[in-house]
Amino acid sequence: MRTYILKRLLLMVPTLLGITLLTYAIVRLAPGDPVEALIRSQAGDINPQVFAREADRIRERLGLKDYNFWGQDPDHIDLPEKVLNAFYGYGRWVWHMAHGDFGESMQYRTTDGSKDPARLYLERAHVTITLNAIAEVLIFLIAIPVGLAAARYRGRLFDRFSTIMLLGFWSVPHVLAGTLLLNYLARGGIGLEWFPYAGLHSLEAQDLTWLKSFGDVFWHATLPVMCLVYGGLAYLAKLGRASLLESIRADYVRTARAKGLPESRVVYHHALRNSLLPMITTMVMMLPALLGGSVVVERIFSIPGMGQLVVGAAMQRDLAVIMFGTLVFGTLTLVSLLVGDLLYAWADPRIRYD
Amino acid sequence: MTEAEATIQAPAAAGPPRTYGSIVWGQLRKRPSAMGSLGFIILLALGAILAPFIGGEVPIRWVEDGQVSWPIFQYLSNAEYVAMLAFALGLALPITIRLVRPRAEQVGASPVLQALAIHAGILAAAAVILFAVRQPERRYGFYLERAEKAESTWFPLIAYARNPGYKELADKEQPPSWEHPLGTGRLGDDVLIRILYGARTALTIGFVAVGISLAIGVVLGAVSGNFGGWVDLALMRVAEVFMSIPRLILIIIMVTVIPPQWLSPIWTVVLVLGLTGWTGTYRLMRAELLRIRDEDYMTAARALGVRTGRLLVRHAIPNGLAPILVGATFGIAGAIFLEVTLAFLGLVQTPSWGTMLNDGRQHLAYWWIWVTSGSAIFLTVFAYNLLGEGIRDAVDPKLRI
Repeated sequence: MRTYILKRLLLMVPTLLGITLLTYAIVRLAPGDPVEALIRSQAGDINPQVFAREADRIRERLGLKDYNFWGQDPDHIDLPEKVLNAFYGYGRWVWHMAHGDFGESMQYRTTDGSKDPARLYLERAHVTITLNAIAEVLIFLIAIPVGLAAARYRGRLFDRFSTIMLLGFWSVPHVLAGTLLLNYLARGGIGLEWFPYAGLHSLEAQDLTWLKSFGDVFWHATLPVMCLVYGGLAYLAKLGRASLLESIRADYVRTARAKGLPESRVVYHHALRNSLLPMITTMVMMLPALLGGSVVVERIFSIPGMGQLVVGAAMQRDLAVIMFGTLVFGTLTLVSLLVGDLLYAWADPRIRYD
Repeated sequence: MTEAEATIQAPAAAGPPRTYGSIVWGQLRKRPSAMGSLGFIILLALGAILAPFIGGEVPIRWVEDGQVSWPIFQYLSNAEYVAMLAFALGLALPITIRLVRPRAEQVGASPVLQALAIHAGILAAAAVILFAVRQPERRYGFYLERAEKAESTWFPLIAYARNPGYKELADKEQPPSWEHPLGTGRLGDDVLIRILYGARTALTIGFVAVGISLAIGVVLGAVSGNFGGWVDLALMRVAEVFMSIPRLILIIIMVTVIPPQWLSPIWTVVLVLGLTGWTGTYRLMRAELLRIRDEDYMTAARALGVRTGRLLVRHAIPNGLAPILVGATFGIAGAIFLEVTLAFLGLVQTPSWGTMLNDGRQHLAYWWIWVTSGSAIFLTVFAYNLLGEGIRDAVDPKLRI
């Protein structure tokens, strides 16, 4: 088992290298220069001389001349050389990263002015993690009883109703749900004004007591979390129903019934316990998808999280931030895949990895 | 005929052989929700294909000075003709299958595959001829003005100018009326027609992206499962890369860096989705091949000297196809969602449901815009999900008892 985990962890290294190389190559080899795009987006078309001076100034200021992996590809460079430069740049990125240096963001700054992508992500991580953690717990708490009831009363009204409802929830785009929640429960005007419509803290959050600030976060998180929960809930409840149905038909459940155990004990003790683990496993594997969903939710509810950062960076071609984001999300996906596989093996002794 | 031969052949003569596909199809037909969804998707495709007949400024029939003409047929683009033909061929598929069945069974080939091949051939030939020969008419902006001069006209149901500059903008942001059943948009365009043209985008994204990823996944999965060894290990690593690469980030980068004159953003999305989304199919196909590689019928086929390619196509792939189909329907739903997300981020300019929803989202007071586009997305994704669920149930042997 230990060797298996070690092997999987070692195999993660080439995979991560593949992911980052692919991302790097795309950003780096694409036509156009992000510095140029930055100037054009702010100043429009300007005199070429002024433009060149400005570009030099920005490259200088951002330290792009010799660093930040953009290098300075001269204007008329042929493709082979460009590819070579990209590989060289990627090598430098890996080398610097191995020494704990992740480069510098072109335009993002932490509150104390640092350009380090690691610190940028760290600053925003707690928001995203808070949202997703609440969402995961809620999904789990709602999905189990729903799935359980649907499986127990299979084919009856509740089962049919919940199946259709869950599929329906699953088919609502986040953008629509988020907008409607925001505009009819938070904005006031045509709708209600029950919830705050932006951010995750009140302005006076720092003066609140510990308990009150906890409540404050929950109050702010209600709508975004609702938005994150409904889709994943549908998926997990459907899975829970299927896996419960499977264990209810199993021989050991029949044995338990034949022994004369009360139905509640059969269901909760024998059947549920065996279908809980696949649900937990799916939960773990769902985490990366949930983070993807939070990109939209964070934007709608103006929450400064990691999703917003990585999307903003991707749109501006902020290489260092993109690369760090790819690394973080890629590692997260790989780790959750591994944990999922291990949980499978732990739950089902018939599965053996060696 | 000797007696021994007669006893061997007797069970086969008892009834027509039932293929796996026909069993699954029979199961699927029993489920009203799945069949309803399939019907909805077909209707949607029909609406998308026939959009120029439902709304637009080009008349279907035009009589001037006693001369009868059918202008719309000159205006339909080549792609629209190909789509119409594809639709008709798709509906005619059961007939062709029935026609080729007796011959195919004599040779021991699959009638479904043969019929598919015939139809694909017809479609490809027609497409090549059309694009080589035909030049569609593109001049707009005069039929509506000349309508009084004509003796008789058949306009589409909703006659309105396609060019937004043509009509007075007094017509913009109108709530639903008889003239515009679903209201008009921010530029005075008819919402119903935008929904139908948006359906084209949605269906194209879904089918093409999932088609690409299915093709890659099936081929690589079959290769990986059949040969094993270092090929398998290497392909598995590649699959892992694509599985754990953050897709949304990748797509955003691609859409922002690829100049729109090279490739329109919507096609970038389709390509990235297709090229990164094959891992699920790949894993299914690989597992399927690992399972059946050493089955007796595969050994028998190999012993008979059947070539590897034919072995995979005839025996391995059909067996793994049903679960892949389930993944494909859910994949189409996912692709439609992704387009909505990208439009929300402002990265798509093509007329689509996502851009409409994003438009309506910012102007909730014009409720007909977000209600229609939102329902279109919801209903279509819901239909695909129901269909996927139906196929999954139909495939599951445990539910068949």
